[in-house]
Amino acid sequence: MSGNRIVLIVDDDMPQRLVLRSQLEGLGYPVVEATNGLEAVRVFEETEPHMVFMDIVMPEMDGYQAASIIKQRCGQRFVPIIFLTALTDEHQLARCIEAGGDDFLMKPVGRIVLESKIRSLERIGALHAQIHALYGQVQQEQKLAEEVFSNAVLANNVALDRIDTLHRPAALFSGDVLLTAYSPAGDLNVMLGDFTGHGLAAALGALPASEAFRAMTAKGFSADQIIRGIGGKLYALLPTSLFMAAQFVSISHDLRHITVCNCGMPDILVLGKEGEIKQRIQSAALPLGIAADANYGHLVTHLDITPGDRVLMVSDGVTDVRNPQGDYFGETGFIEALEQATAGESVVERLAEVLREFAGDAPQDDDISLAEIPCVPEILPAWSMEVEDSVFENRSRSAEEQAEDPGEGRLEFSLFLHGRRLAQADPVPLIINNLQEMDEIAVHRRTLFTILTELYVNALDHGVLGLDSSLKGSAEGFAHYYAERERLLSELKDGYVRIRVRVSPAAEGKDVEIFIEDSGSGFRFRPFLEDAEHSTGYAGRGIRLVRELCKSFSYEEPGNRVRAVFGLQS
Amino acid sequence: MTIVSQESRDNNEVEIRINGRFDFSTHKDFRGAFESVDAKSVEFVINLQDTEYMDSSALGMLLLLRERAGGDKARIKLTNCNSQIRQILEVSHFDELFSIQ
Repeated sequence: MSGNRIVLIVDDDMPQRLVLRSQLEGLGYPVVEATNGLEAVRVFEETEPHMVFMDIVMPEMDGYQAASIIKQRCGQRFVPIIFLTALTDEHQLARCIEAGGDDFLMKPVGRIVLESKIRSLERIGALHAQIHALYGQVQQEQKLAEEVFSNAVLANNVALDRIDTLHRPAALFSGDVLLTAYSPAGDLNVMLGDFTGHGLAAALGALPASEAFRAMTAKGFSADQIIRGIGGKLYALLPTSLFMAAQFVSISHDLRHITVCNCGMPDILVLGKEGEIKQRIQSAALPLGIAADANYGHLVTHLDITPGDRVLMVSDGVTDVRNPQGDYFGETGFIEALEQATAGESVVERLAEVLREFAGDAPQDDDISLAEIPCVPEILPAWSMEVEDSVFENRSRSAEEQAEDPGEGRLEFSLFLHGRRLAQADPVPLIINNLQEMDEIAVHRRTLFTILTELYVNALDHGVLGLDSSLKGSAEGFAHYYAERERLLSELKDGYVRIRVRVSPAAEGKDVEIFIEDSGSGFRFRPFLEDAEHSTGYAGRGIRLVRELCKSFSYEEPGNRVRAVFGLQS
Repeated sequence: MTIVSQESRDNNEVEIRINGRFDFSTHKDFRGAFESVDAKSVEFVINLQDTEYMDSSALGMLLLLRERAGGDKARIKLTNCNSQIRQILEVSHFDELFSIQ
């Protein structure tokens, strides 16, 4: 207990106060006094005593009233109040406890009874303090864990500035999780997951689920493959009683199609411009993590949409909201709220308002999540990619190129990054993913990654940003170089890098041709190429490396265009 | 007691009744109801006649029972579901795992 051992005696009868005072002082407690309830409240605030002895019948304010005021002002602190009474009426004794009193003593108070009473209350006080400390510790640890958790699970989400969301966890940790990520083709994948229960236990599965979601989305897996992957992972990791219901939506980069899968969640809705419900996608499968392996291929739905449509995802916590009378908000309440939303208004905002009014101060049983995704260009990634599948219709190619093209096994695509997009996107993983679809290329993944990275970084750093590689001649220069790069990137307004990749079958085996052009003024590449062979400094190593890896490697004047050919058979 | 379980006279069937809300608060009682029997050799009847509400934790508990009773070989019937519970079971596709009557 606290070092403050002051005891407050409240009694309008002076002899009574004197007797009790001498007994308490004899037990080693410093004593303060008050002669009525009103004075007691004032003295309590001034001296913060650690125990109060309270008479009942007093002028100005009686003991009951004083006790309830004092208890209110204690807050989290445990300050026992012991009523002193000559009354034997049981109702009146009960009233002492109701008013906030912790115990009562019959007057006159005997020394032995007084001493044991104090000891007993101090024991309760110690327990109280211990629980309070433990609770504080738990709170603090949960808060910390929640922070780490949020960073790991949610920090990598994309396009959230364009997606309206409502997220009200029932506990500090939420069992609902909203994940977003871009596929290599530039599609937006969104998953709303709802784990069994809520709180920390429910949140545990969110970590592996988000990892699988992001890794598989980044590698360009299809919706059903991603769902299967997450399901398998959760099945392996989570105990039997824990699983995740999920809504999965993939919005195509041309905003014309969505791929949807609903596993154990309420309907996913597609809303038109006026807020009308255009499509409903019902639950088609068990939640994830229940079955060891399942095929979701036939459970996903492909739908056509119109740009401007909105996809509404919702957890069952929304319909399970109860008002103070115990009625559920329900499907009816949900649909009514949707109908109330006027054209152009955010459905999520409308629902948030309606739910707040409905629930009043009723406790929230489950996590509530809503996400409204507008199918507009702003939700799409900052980079654009053009895959030229139909090479035969491509008129921009020269007759010469077409002549040597047998058509079969060809792949060609180009990527154009400009302005601030250069600062945001790393096109290399994207290109690699696109190439990986061809088996014979997949085995050279790492090498191609190196070549592309070196050439792209050169084009961006030296071409677009105009950074001087000789800066990297020393360790300090290195740091300076990257600081400068960071600054230039953040201020970048124009400039571009164009990357074209072509897989062309040659007589003796396939080649991958990489062509990169930047908006820079070029550089004196000839001495650079000659020196590169002997360079030991920080600069030029990239060029030397790429040259060693490639079958042919050349710059075009004035040095802002580079062409590298990698032989798949070499 | 919100959960009452009863074994049939020939010990082949165990009926579990849940009163009120079937959620995490009934976790301990529900487990107790099936942990004391040889779960693999009996048929379970989960009587939901007096169950008002069911949440995802309850679904989790049903999965636990199913596992204990032999997984795909388990014999578990869910009976007398109200419309809210039926909807939850349908949305979750639990009819693939349990016999719902």
